[in-house]
Amino acid sequence: MLVITRKPEQSIIIGGEVEVIVLGISGEGVRLGVKAPRSVQVHRREVFEAIAAENRAAAGTRAPVQDAAALLRAAQVRKPRVR
Amino acid sequence: MTILPDSNPAPDEGILLTFPKGLLGFPQLKAFRLFEPHDGYPLKFLQAVEDPEVSFTCIDPASVKKDYEVPLGTEEAEALALESPEDALVLTLVVVPEDPRHMTTNLAGPLVININTRMGYQIVLNSEKYPLRFPILPQD
Repeated sequence: MLVITRKPEQSIIIGGEVEVIVLGISGEGVRLGVKAPRSVQVHRREVFEAIAAENRAAAGTRAPVQDAAALLRAAQVRKPRVR
Repeated sequence: MTILPDSNPAPDEGILLTFPKGLLGFPQLKAFRLFEPHDGYPLKFLQAVEDPEVSFTCIDPASVKKDYEVPLGTEEAEALALESPEDALVLTLVVVPEDPRHMTTNLAGPLVININTRMGYQIVLNSEKYPLRFPILPQD
């Protein structure tokens, strides 16, 4: 891992198009600014990992989905009722 | 049964969607087919074209939480080339545990799809308003 020391208002450039700027330091926290093209998604790691884990859980669903759908229809999910 | 305009897919082929960034944790899977099997209503299924073993169960979140809205940044709306909110199809992924009464949907990572371009992104919403595991059925 590359380790670089930066001061507030200094930055690093990654891959020529992503800039990470140290905006300020207060106590335990470091405020970072990220300038990146739209095509680069930037997430807090823990948020990214939580959603990736839920995605994996959704992909791993092996329960009988027909049963789940029947439960949903019975319970609540509104479908326009024509009678 | 199809939700997208001007599409007449064979029932077993679904609707082809592209996710240029994949889904979080699945960056390599970019093409999906969306199925809405009749006996699966209101659930839909998103099957990866590159790996048919991978499929996601999903739902229209508005049917679970009436006031659910995805706040899209301008950059995200631009990336999706959305011209109006009506062009967006929003789906959230469903986790069905062994006891399906406890199934949940992930309101923090909705899929937003432009129904005209059939291109979609998974959006990350970082707020307590958007739980990762929102119970779909009323829990007693």
